[in-house]
Amino acid sequence: MNCLQRIIFLSNFSNKKYIFSYALTNPRCKLSFLSVTKAQDLLQQKKVTSVTLVRDCFSQISKYNARLNAFIKVQNENVALEKAIEADDRFNKGIIKGPLDGIPITYKDNFCTKELSTTCDFISPFNATIVDLLQDSGAIMIGKTNMDEFGMGAFGPAYNPHTIISDQKDSIDQEPRVAGGSSGGSAAAVASGMCFASLGSDTGGSIRLPASYCGVIGFKPSYGQCSRWGLVAYASSLDTVGIITRNVHDAQLIYDIISKYDEKDPSSLPPKLRSINASLASFEKTNSNFTDLSKLRVGIPQEYYVSELSDPIKSLWKRGISLLRSYGATIVSVSCPSTRYALPAYYILAPAEASSNLARYDGVRYGHRSDMDSKQDEELLYAHTRSEGFGEEVKRRILLGTYTLTAGSYNNYFIYAQRIRKMVQSNFDSVFRRPNPLHLVKNESSSFYNRNSDEIFEISNKLRNESHGVDVIMTPVAISTSPKVKDSLSSSFLSNSDNAKNLDDNSFVNAYVNDVFTIPANLAGIPAISVPFGISPIDGFPIGLQLMTQYGDEHTLFYISKVLENNR
Amino acid sequence: MIKTFVTTYLKKTCNGSNIKRHVTSYQYSTQIRSERSILYKSNKWEAIIGLEVHAQLNSKTKLFSLSSASFNEPVNTNVSVIDAAFPGTLPKLNAKCVELAVAASLALSGNVQLVSSFDRKQYFYPDLPPGYQITQHYAPISLGGKIFLNNLDGLEYDTVVRIKQIQLEQDTGKSIHDIVPGMTLIDLNRAGTGLIEIVTEPDMRTSKEAGLTVKKLQAILRAIGSSDGNMEEGSLRCDVNVSVHEHETPYGTRCEIKNLNSIKFLMAAIDVEIERQIKELENGNKIVQETRGFDVLKNKTFRLRTKETATDYRYMPEPDLSPLILNKDYITRISNNLPELPDDLKTRIMKQYGIPLHDVIVLMNETGGVKYFEKAVKNRNPQHVSNWITHELFGLLHARNIKFSQNPVSALQLGSVVDCVDNGDITGKVGKKILEKMISGDSRLASIIIQDEGLRQLSDINELEKICQDVILQNPEQLRSFKGGKQTVFAWFVGQVMNKTKGQANPKLVNEILRKLL
Repeated sequence: MNCLQRIIFLSNFSNKKYIFSYALTNPRCKLSFLSVTKAQDLLQQKKVTSVTLVRDCFSQISKYNARLNAFIKVQNENVALEKAIEADDRFNKGIIKGPLDGIPITYKDNFCTKELSTTCDFISPFNATIVDLLQDSGAIMIGKTNMDEFGMGAFGPAYNPHTIISDQKDSIDQEPRVAGGSSGGSAAAVASGMCFASLGSDTGGSIRLPASYCGVIGFKPSYGQCSRWGLVAYASSLDTVGIITRNVHDAQLIYDIISKYDEKDPSSLPPKLRSINASLASFEKTNSNFTDLSKLRVGIPQEYYVSELSDPIKSLWKRGISLLRSYGATIVSVSCPSTRYALPAYYILAPAEASSNLARYDGVRYGHRSDMDSKQDEELLYAHTRSEGFGEEVKRRILLGTYTLTAGSYNNYFIYAQRIRKMVQSNFDSVFRRPNPLHLVKNESSSFYNRNSDEIFEISNKLRNESHGVDVIMTPVAISTSPKVKDSLSSSFLSNSDNAKNLDDNSFVNAYVNDVFTIPANLAGIPAISVPFGISPIDGFPIGLQLMTQYGDEHTLFYISKVLENNR
Repeated sequence: MIKTFVTTYLKKTCNGSNIKRHVTSYQYSTQIRSERSILYKSNKWEAIIGLEVHAQLNSKTKLFSLSSASFNEPVNTNVSVIDAAFPGTLPKLNAKCVELAVAASLALSGNVQLVSSFDRKQYFYPDLPPGYQITQHYAPISLGGKIFLNNLDGLEYDTVVRIKQIQLEQDTGKSIHDIVPGMTLIDLNRAGTGLIEIVTEPDMRTSKEAGLTVKKLQAILRAIGSSDGNMEEGSLRCDVNVSVHEHETPYGTRCEIKNLNSIKFLMAAIDVEIERQIKELENGNKIVQETRGFDVLKNKTFRLRTKETATDYRYMPEPDLSPLILNKDYITRISNNLPELPDDLKTRIMKQYGIPLHDVIVLMNETGGVKYFEKAVKNRNPQHVSNWITHELFGLLHARNIKFSQNPVSALQLGSVVDCVDNGDITGKVGKKILEKMISGDSRLASIIIQDEGLRQLSDINELEKICQDVILQNPEQLRSFKGGKQTVFAWFVGQVMNKTKGQANPKLVNEILRKLL
């Protein structure tokens, strides 16, 4: 089946007219640009085969990966095709494994997979829980995507695919840009049709930032909703599994598969709390009509209006506000005064946890081992190994974290940062209408479980900020569109020593500003999403808007995201 | 010079001759402390001793993983991806370990905390795969507590050692330095096993008090089943803090002595350390805060590291584990299920059965010893039963290197031996032989063995008289010397009769008959 045939064939059941018009001339003509939901429909109707989908993805990979650097490892095509054949067999027999049966997807390289090696240079004897869940629903892994080392970075090692795939190439600045970090490989792969969806991780914005830069959906669920078992830890109390897709519905579809209690993850939200959460009122439950948002209260935090914000992003934010207002939503200016401290708090807490989590990479059991350390010098068993093995940014954060945890500075840094984190959390709690389900059970976890659901409902209603609380907060994701490679500090691009020389010491700190809008959601553990909402008139690159809701209120988040998505 | 002085002095204190007072109540206060001043060298120096005891929890699986916690397995066989700190793994708290730690805390009158939390203690060492140990630094599972010592424990006076806190933590793997020269071998079987660390206040004043505190702790942990408490096997390990100061002046700088693996060495190390510190101070030197080891062969402590070179452990709240929240019902349930604790048990056994303290202590030194005794003692003479267990059974087991937990002789069997001896069916000597058979795996009762193998005691007076007569007639020379006044020959005659009857003759009857005949 050649491309033309396929497009004509598609036009019979696709409402999206653009697919037809892009035929042959546009790289988006590929089937691998379909949404997961659409592809699944076609598979079930046997109008397309999983083998075709897999082949399409591989052809995109072979065409663009060398330019985009989106993958660290590409699965052996025959292995993937075998699985596709099995999936097609199932479709023929009418036994469908799950909503992702036969769909090619990728994982960020910090997810443990038995089949392909994982970052930190080892082959895991087990699959991450989310990998198992997605495999059980029929997804086919076609590769592991590139990332900043251990998830530490805002630029990523991948190139932004927008220059290649955009339908308005003429108006786009052609200078190479970054895909963003740290899940940049995942965002680039999804944006360029190399896979249908990709699983990444988000510690301080690592899903949302590249999603905004590359023009795809980047969703970070509440902390504890998706199992971290098998996710290589960066900062355990902030790390969340995240999802990158081309539309909101796909993200929701995948989220419903992987949002399961996992007894292997001690921070996984236990079933009882999940049912308490489900019993709480939310906007999404009470509103049935997408065009009437008159009951919706949207929070606009004034502290997010920072001086670094670029004009195209400011105007896009304003457009988002007027859109929701036009549907009847009430726009409320809210205050999250601790926001300005969130960034420094993050850069104390995350490196502290990282310095601890990365202590296991000592070269004793596996991985790089320095010749220098093997000499009979008892004092230095690890120093050379770790100095040689880790990259510059990782070393910088390990040193920072080690310093803040030392006896002399712990009380001055770590304790304060934790206090700020609590403040950020309570800031959000006081802003949202919905109560935080975690606080409902605080201090009396056992006795709460014994209460009946009416009582829970009563308590939750008491705690609802009915009159002044908001259902969703809307902010920008990033202060700008995707940075140019030459302006970025990503260590993989910095191998070009000219770039490195131009950097002064403050550059590293300035780079951390990229996370300013995304970090609060990580500190508070609340769900957040980056929805592509427009193109910068200046450079032609995509811009995303960020939505955040109360802990556990993913459904309202998806609901409002779809409103933005349908009106971009 | 000083050495001989101090050691002789110590001997004296241990005999109790220099103890100034007796505490009668269990309350503790500074007043009591100062009353019990045990002074070294011209009544000038007082030693202040505190303990940190690590006890391995008796759980089937490790503290945060499902691999087996049993040791004595082939190296590196009980290791899961969690224990070996594979990337992407997460700890999962073992409820059994929490239960055992709570039981231990309650048994030590600790204040079990409804909310406690875990922290990472960070240092690099090859037998610590994650680069940190999960422990409870900032909010331990239990605060406070007491260990009482009194004459039941072998102390001449009463005292109480306060417990500062009890924390749950992971054990490390083992580094083995001496099997392959120039190489350190790592065994991760122990890595991640559950421990409780019991930290005492500096309430001990002599090595004897410290030794007895550890012994008491062992007895309590064994009684409630929280730990085997075996120092030789490493399931109980002690670090000790020692300082000396002049009486009625502030406490001195302390030194920590690490890795003491028996109570004997613990006491010896304390004694030599007290002696060393007094000597340093008397020579006008200062004590430097440091960690020391104990050289058993040289009977000396030696410097391991000073405070300046000490590791900064960079304690950090464990981000993977949420706080451990216990509810009151849970604690009450464990409290209600606690078995009889050693002090109560001792008192009860002594009172109920009238056996001496020493016997009770020997019985209690073996896990399940008292239970065994109580099973065997039903309708029998308690002292006899105790003797048979503590002397004969324990002796035989020890000689054959069999642990009491593997004792093949049932309480019923042991009771049957006591019965047969007490009712005169067999001699004690034959009883011992039967017990040996039982240890070798004979599962019959003593009465059956006697019957099957014809071991019944010879108590027929006529038959015995005949044998005695024969012996006398066959040995005219000995008879003559007896008549000549040599009383010791009498015992020789008894021996001859016993020999002839292969030990089965009733010795009491033989004595009577020989007296009559001679």
